[in-house]
Amino acid sequence: MSVETEQSIATKRMPAGLGGLLPALTLIGLFFVVPVLALLLRSVTDPAPGLQNYTALLGDGTYMRVFFNTFLVAAVVTIVTVLVAFPVAWMLAIMPPALASVMFGIIILSMWTNLLTRTYAWMVLLQRTGVINRALMATGIIDQPLPLINNLTGVTIGMVYIMLPFMILPLVGTLRAIDPMTLRAAALCGASPFQAFRRILLPLSLPGVAAGGLMVFVMSLGYFVTPALLGGTSNMMLAEMIAQLIQSLLNWGLGSAAAFILLIVTMALYALQLRLVGARRATGGI
Amino acid sequence: MKLIFAGILAGLLATTAAKAEDMVFTSWGGTTQEAQTKSWAEPFSAASGIKVLQDGPTDYGKLKAMVDAGSVNWDVVDVEMDFAIKAAKDGLLEPIDFKTVPKADLDPRFTTDHAVGSFYYSFVLAWNKGAVSSEPAGWADMFDLKKYPGKRTFYKWSAPGVIEIALLADGVPADKLYPLDLDRAFKKLDTIKSDIVWWGGGAESQQLIASGEAAFGQLWNGRVFALEKDGADVGVSWNQNLTAADVLVVPKGAKNKDAAMKFLAAASSPAGQAKFAEASGYAPINTKAKAEMPADAVKSLPDAHVDGQINLDMNYWAANRDAIAERWYAWQAK
Repeated sequence: MSVETEQSIATKRMPAGLGGLLPALTLIGLFFVVPVLALLLRSVTDPAPGLQNYTALLGDGTYMRVFFNTFLVAAVVTIVTVLVAFPVAWMLAIMPPALASVMFGIIILSMWTNLLTRTYAWMVLLQRTGVINRALMATGIIDQPLPLINNLTGVTIGMVYIMLPFMILPLVGTLRAIDPMTLRAAALCGASPFQAFRRILLPLSLPGVAAGGLMVFVMSLGYFVTPALLGGTSNMMLAEMIAQLIQSLLNWGLGSAAAFILLIVTMALYALQLRLVGARRATGGI
Repeated sequence: MKLIFAGILAGLLATTAAKAEDMVFTSWGGTTQEAQTKSWAEPFSAASGIKVLQDGPTDYGKLKAMVDAGSVNWDVVDVEMDFAIKAAKDGLLEPIDFKTVPKADLDPRFTTDHAVGSFYYSFVLAWNKGAVSSEPAGWADMFDLKKYPGKRTFYKWSAPGVIEIALLADGVPADKLYPLDLDRAFKKLDTIKSDIVWWGGGAESQQLIASGEAAFGQLWNGRVFALEKDGADVGVSWNQNLTAADVLVVPKGAKNKDAAMKFLAAASSPAGQAKFAEASGYAPINTKAKAEMPADAVKSLPDAHVDGQINLDMNYWAANRDAIAERWYAWQAK
């Protein structure tokens, strides 16, 4: 009986709710759905109807290498970001609130600085004649400059730096929600700090790691500025290739197809994450 | 569907709406566009009363999008000449009205039915004097890793220049460059590939050379000129300097076509060309311009180095642009 009433309330509410959503839906429809459909359409009609753009992309060694590079860079960046962000997030979570908010301010402040400026700053630091190499050579630690730029190392350093806040913020939220008593209980039961970390803290923080990790991974997939400036031509990522196809080669069909593939992959990953996190929530009892 | 797409694009691109009597000039930004504003736009506005709004940087994708969408907000655009030839063929450009733009004194090398020259420049070999063991003499030295170890810098994009340099360094005579032997060029470039740092824009090329990040490289002569003016310790070799040009075009369907043609007339006039050349170190495309320039300014122009100068073949590039680009980027990504 009660189920029925709930349902009827729900169905009654639906149209009203939809009405309120109408402006938002129109906005999304007009500025997101329609352009994406136009993109899809162009990818199968330009220069001629058919799937030739997709077969060209998937059958060509160069394009496949760029796809592979894109995923490689995104994966490396995500892993390094998680490793760096976790201790920082944990520290923020257990810090006295006043100090933590100062630290938060510092982290968020870095996000406000222009992306291009930050990337150029890394160029100055990382290049052969840059601050890091000069300091290392002056102290005699190395006698040849380290190749820190125009390669995967440069891209990883630059992108991890930019991605860190996106990992730290969700992770702090998750870590703060963990009841500290669980760790105390583990210690009382004789768990070593490492055991407590591995069997209590890590599993409980996984939803935050997954959420942040996926956000970082997806953002990395479409990144343009940092790889273009800190990477070499052999680390070209998809976004740079698309820009090249659109801007300089004027091959919009192929560019659209590449962009659409990127979109599909991103959506698939998002769906996967929803399922994984949802499942873990259900079984983990969070 | 195409209409909807076009409409959306038009909406997105309508960032620089000009009033009826105004016009929009688009170029590459930086010192070049500043010089164009001072030498062309300001005197033109003063004389004609037509306000010239500046936009940029030039973006071929955007230009095509505007023309496709039928909402063209750029009236005069500074583009590379090989692009202009290709774009004219693709129907993206208005023909030049040579009744308004006097053609007689324009350098025929850089004038077409759909474009008048903006300026022309040379790729030259430049180096940081503090970073090289000895002064390189020509393009072949850029491929000599024994004598000149370390990083060298080349233009990143698929464009006239690097392929030709590789072939010249490999011993191809200047008059036998075209049609380009791409296999041979890439084989030559392979020998130094891991020592190449690519520059994507003029400022980057200056920074690489001035800091010694790359000891030497292929630069636009105007950028070397600017480095020298700033007192950087750079050397330059004009040996086999390679000329290419920027041209001014009017996108198809430009809203202020008449104003645009008048602007072209002013920009390509002897006075406009002389002023710009003096400010930028790039060469004028009007044959009468040099007479209006101070003698010492003429000395630093590519015109002063016609001995052994090679004209990059813009028509060849326009015809083969896409095919070369495909191989170029595939090779780079390897």
